[in-house]
Amino acid sequence: MDPLKPLPDAPSVAGISLSGKTPYVISADENRALCATIGVAPAEDGSAHPIYFYIATQIGMGMTVAELCKTCDFDVEDGPMITSTKVGFSQPLMTEVLYQVTGEILGLIRKLSRKLGVMDMLEYELRLSLPDGTAVLKTTNVWVLPRRHLS
Amino acid sequence: MNPMIGDTLKALRIADVSPQGMKAWAGFLRDPNPLHLDPRAVAAKGLGERVINQGPANLAYVISMLQSAFPGARIDTLEVRYVDNVFGGEAVEASGRVLELSGGDDAPQIKCEVWLRAEARGPVITGTATLTLAAIR
Repeated sequence: MDPLKPLPDAPSVAGISLSGKTPYVISADENRALCATIGVAPAEDGSAHPIYFYIATQIGMGMTVAELCKTCDFDVEDGPMITSTKVGFSQPLMTEVLYQVTGEILGLIRKLSRKLGVMDMLEYELRLSLPDGTAVLKTTNVWVLPRRHLS
Repeated sequence: MNPMIGDTLKALRIADVSPQGMKAWAGFLRDPNPLHLDPRAVAAKGLGERVINQGPANLAYVISMLQSAFPGARIDTLEVRYVDNVFGGEAVEASGRVLELSGGDDAPQIKCEVWLRAEARGPVITGTATLTLAAIR
C-alpha cells in the first residue's frame, strides 16, 4: 500500500441497529459452571458473575459476531480482534431474569497500521435493560478488522 | 478493610489456563472459533502452537480478583484494553492498585488500576475499574 495514496472508504455502517429480538436469560446452572472455570464460588444471592455483561450483550444482540463482521464487509475467518471494552453498570446482573439488548454500531474507521497494514476500527454500543425498560448496563466494544487484501 | 491509595490488590492466580475451560467458554459465548479449541487452527494462523483463551475469560479473572479484593462491593465501571493473548497451559495473575478514594463513609468509592499478566511474558489486559464499597460503620 502506497502510504501517500488515500485509503478507500470503509463501509458506511454507523447507526445500524444491533438490538436483539429475543430476551437473554443468565442460567443459574451456566453461571455456576462459568464460575467453576475461574475457580470461584457463585454468589449466594442469585447475582450472576459480572462478566455476563459481555456474554449477555454479545449473545442477545441482533447479530452473531460473524454477521456483524459481514455487515462491515469483513469475513470473520480473517480474524477480527477485540481491542477494548468498557462497561458501566446501573445494577448487578441476576440469574434467571429476562434481559433485553439494544444497541447500534457507532463507527467503522479505516486506518493504516504499521503492524497490521490497512485495518478498520469497529466500535459498537450495547445496552442491557429489564423488560420494563429499566437500564442495567451500557457497554462499548472496539474490534480491529484487518484488511490484509488492501495492504 | 480500609484501602489506601497505592495499595496493591490481592492477586488472583490461575496456575494453568485450561484448554478444557476454553471449551466451556466456547459454549458460554456460543463461539466455536477454532483458535480456542484446536492448536492446529492456531498454528495455521501463525499465532503459535497452543489454543488461545477467550478475551472475556481473561477479563473474568480480573473481575473475580476485584470481587475477592473488595467483598460486597459493587462494580460501577470497567474499562480495559486487550493487549495480548493468553495461551493454553499458561499461568496468569490478575491484580491491581488503588488510584483514588472518594464518596465518604456512606458510599465509599474506589478507582483502581487493574491488570492481568501472563507470568512468563507480561500484560495481557490493562485498564481501570471503579467500585462502590460497602458503607464504613
